[in-house]
Amino acid sequence: MHLGFEWGPGDLLVYETNYKLQGSPLVHVVRKDEDICSPILRKLFNESHLIFVGLQKIKEDVPSKNKKSQFVSISKNYRSVIRACMEELQQNAGKHSPDTHRTRRGGCSRSVSILLAIELIWNLCEVLFIDAAPAGSLLLHLLDWVRLHKSDVDARAREVLQSESPAQHQSYWDVVISLVLQGRMDEARQVLSKQASLRAESSSVFKRMDVLLQTMPIFNPTGTQTLTEFDVKWRHWHEECDRCLQDNTFASNRHLETIVKILVGDEDTILEQKELLSTWYHFLVTRLLFTHPTIKPPDLHYYAQSSMNMFLGPRAPPEPLDIILLSAFEFDLHQVIKDCSIALNNWWFVAHLTDLLDHCKLLQSHNLHFGSNLREFLVLEYASGLFTHHSLWQLAVDYFDHCPEFGRVYLELQIERIPLDTERKAIKVLRICEDRQMSEQVRSICKIMAKRALRNNRLGSALSWSIRAKDAAFATLISERFLQDYCNKGSFTDLDLLDNLGPAMLLSDRLTFLGKYREFHRLYGENRFSEAAKLLLSLMTAKIAPRGLWMTLLTDALPLLEQKEVKTRTTHALHSHFTVVKKLDEDIESTKTELLRLALARNLAMAIVKEGTIET
Amino acid sequence: MSKLLKTVSVINTVDTSHEDMIHDAQMDYYGTRLATCSSDRSVKIFDVKNGGQILVADLRGHEGPVWQVAWAHPMYGNILASCSYDRKVIIWKEENGTWDKMYEYTGHDSSVNSVCWGPYDFGLFLACGSSDGAISVLTCSGDGHWDIKKINNAHTIGCNAVSWAPAVVPGSLIEQPTGQKPNYIKRFVSGGCDNLVKLWKEEDGQWKEDQKLEAHSDWVRDVGWAPSIGLPTSTIASCSRDGRVFIWTCDDPAGNTWTAKLLHKFNDAVWHVSWSITGKILAVSGGDNKVTLWKESVDGQWACISDVNKGQGAVTSITDSQQNEQ
Repeated sequence: MHLGFEWGPGDLLVYETNYKLQGSPLVHVVRKDEDICSPILRKLFNESHLIFVGLQKIKEDVPSKNKKSQFVSISKNYRSVIRACMEELQQNAGKHSPDTHRTRRGGCSRSVSILLAIELIWNLCEVLFIDAAPAGSLLLHLLDWVRLHKSDVDARAREVLQSESPAQHQSYWDVVISLVLQGRMDEARQVLSKQASLRAESSSVFKRMDVLLQTMPIFNPTGTQTLTEFDVKWRHWHEECDRCLQDNTFASNRHLETIVKILVGDEDTILEQKELLSTWYHFLVTRLLFTHPTIKPPDLHYYAQSSMNMFLGPRAPPEPLDIILLSAFEFDLHQVIKDCSIALNNWWFVAHLTDLLDHCKLLQSHNLHFGSNLREFLVLEYASGLFTHHSLWQLAVDYFDHCPEFGRVYLELQIERIPLDTERKAIKVLRICEDRQMSEQVRSICKIMAKRALRNNRLGSALSWSIRAKDAAFATLISERFLQDYCNKGSFTDLDLLDNLGPAMLLSDRLTFLGKYREFHRLYGENRFSEAAKLLLSLMTAKIAPRGLWMTLLTDALPLLEQKEVKTRTTHALHSHFTVVKKLDEDIESTKTELLRLALARNLAMAIVKEGTIET
Repeated sequence: MSKLLKTVSVINTVDTSHEDMIHDAQMDYYGTRLATCSSDRSVKIFDVKNGGQILVADLRGHEGPVWQVAWAHPMYGNILASCSYDRKVIIWKEENGTWDKMYEYTGHDSSVNSVCWGPYDFGLFLACGSSDGAISVLTCSGDGHWDIKKINNAHTIGCNAVSWAPAVVPGSLIEQPTGQKPNYIKRFVSGGCDNLVKLWKEEDGQWKEDQKLEAHSDWVRDVGWAPSIGLPTSTIASCSRDGRVFIWTCDDPAGNTWTAKLLHKFNDAVWHVSWSITGKILAVSGGDNKVTLWKESVDGQWACISDVNKGQGAVTSITDSQQNEQ
């Protein structure tokens, strides 16, 4: 059995061959990236496209300090788009009726979890790489990061506080401890105060705890305190907590005992809160909060690795997300990007993130074998994927425009594959090619449209397209069809077009003739006989009239010759042309010939008389 | 959080209603139509827009199994070429909504195994290779007349595959003389039962053997010239009954020095190779009922990026040097 495989312009074909037949053979059309089709993710693609284009426009000469805040702001924009998408997907998932196919519902929730992961990773990259917070601020940002991604604490806290008797609520202590683990001391104190009011005799213990929580030093990056000063203060506080532990101050209440152990930074106790922490990176940040709040970025990776090992234990292997986060903590950007590229279905995330990181000048020029750097490589992959979509392809154009090395050639290769279903779409595609001087593609598209119009007998449209394609040969072909039609029917079609050809007329001799011939008819129709005759004459003189039409032209001249304004000279000239024609075409209808000869002679006589009369 | 698996999805399954196995399936330029050919001697065309499958044409004219079909560029209209065991190449054209034979070529003495249209920039023309060892180039001269140029004894015993070089002159992205149109040369590659890969160039209106590439130890079943993205390098893939797939590259624009790199040695005969539209990914169809996708990595080595297994909806991604555990 052989498996056949073919590349389509967007999708792939897979079929079975070379086997014993059982039923008729099937061909499977396979799509690499179904996310493209999701209507909700489409918003992600559309809005991030705007952000991307805006980012490319940021000037190089802006001082780097200002640029950093700009980049952070852009990063937050991207993240808010992800979150908006996620919320919409979640709402949608809630809307599903029980009849909705299981896989569709599953697909929705899978998309949500993937977006969650993406936002988590992006947020961490923003903290570590784009904002690049120094020691002191670093921990604060990491705390924000954890709080943002562990939002169930708020819901539970609300539930507890709103209950009739908060202190009796079964989740009461879980909430207090969760808040402490996240460094939200004021809120922890608020919840604790519900307990304190109940027990008069143990209120002093609660007061002690309240003081500890209240006095925990938090680094203020905008303040005047230096990191060293903060560190000193923190150690004092830490010693105070430890003293409470050694004195068994909180021995009477096991929950408070747990809390003080956490405050002291006892890793085993913190680890016991596994369920409340739920992730190793929460464990990491909490651990740092209570043991090493002045952590410097380069030291982060050691704590990250050990936190992950401690939390997951020996039997649970890390998942792709864990590896990616770990690489981030190790400040190994390239590994982060590589792992995300492998793990994720769609290039959206890595392309946009890498592009932003590149603007922040964080990527070393990681040259790939085919000469393109990492950023361009990813953006090209992402944009190529967009091209398979019937409307998103327009976004892809902007991405290709911002890939200096290969963007243009990728665009050239792929823009030709867009099905030109309607004239409107063809014009849209054409404009894109014309704007970029992609003359080969312009020519190709116009030719395709011209041919199609001709096949459908729409001569006017076919002519317009060949003019746009600057295709002289095809223009000649179509002009002959027009003339044929005229000979058969006696009238022209598409008068609007023919009357307004302008300089395009010069594309081919036959086309010029067609345009001028139509003009002749128009002049005649407006009774401008002398001009009409002159034009007819010039057509014959210039020798651009096709041989087969000479008799027709002369026949057209017949009624003109009846007109009085036609001058002698003109008539003489027409006469001589007639003679030429007669010589070449021996078998011309004799009646026609006689008519013409008669008319010419009559006109000549008239003209002589008229001119004679005037001159006297 | 659950594993983030890369998946591809089957979005449409076309029931071809062929009465015997199919040998080729090709999407048209825009991906809206599908052409299939079969041992049942027919060529079928389906409209597959928006996930549908409407039989548009059932073309009869061949008297033996049809091996390959190829779509011409839409600029020339809707034209499809087919080649068959019956020694014929038939060119079909759609006129006023119906498909008809446009031209029939009977110049070969044996099965015609492969047919391939040349780059549209040069006109409407194709190459076909036959088991009689000859290769023919058919060029349409505009008024329905076809010009024939035959290369006899191109490959002893038989020719199995032909593939045209793209129309771009290698290096055109880099050294483009302003305003001047570069001198395009028509070239194609062929593979045969003499285990050879040969390059052919048109010179003074005649086809001449330009290069003879030796590396395979058994019949060359398929060849593919990669699309160009304007780099100075030309790339060709060849696969053989010997289980090997070679990547041939040439860095000089004149096209004289070709280097072979072994992509992989498979356990079975490899019968088909095909390049993606931008030429970045190579799909290899092996006798072991598998299709593998390959991409060139940073250090110039080719790495397998995907594995398509029959009956599986998922394609798992594997990293550079690891084997797929499935």
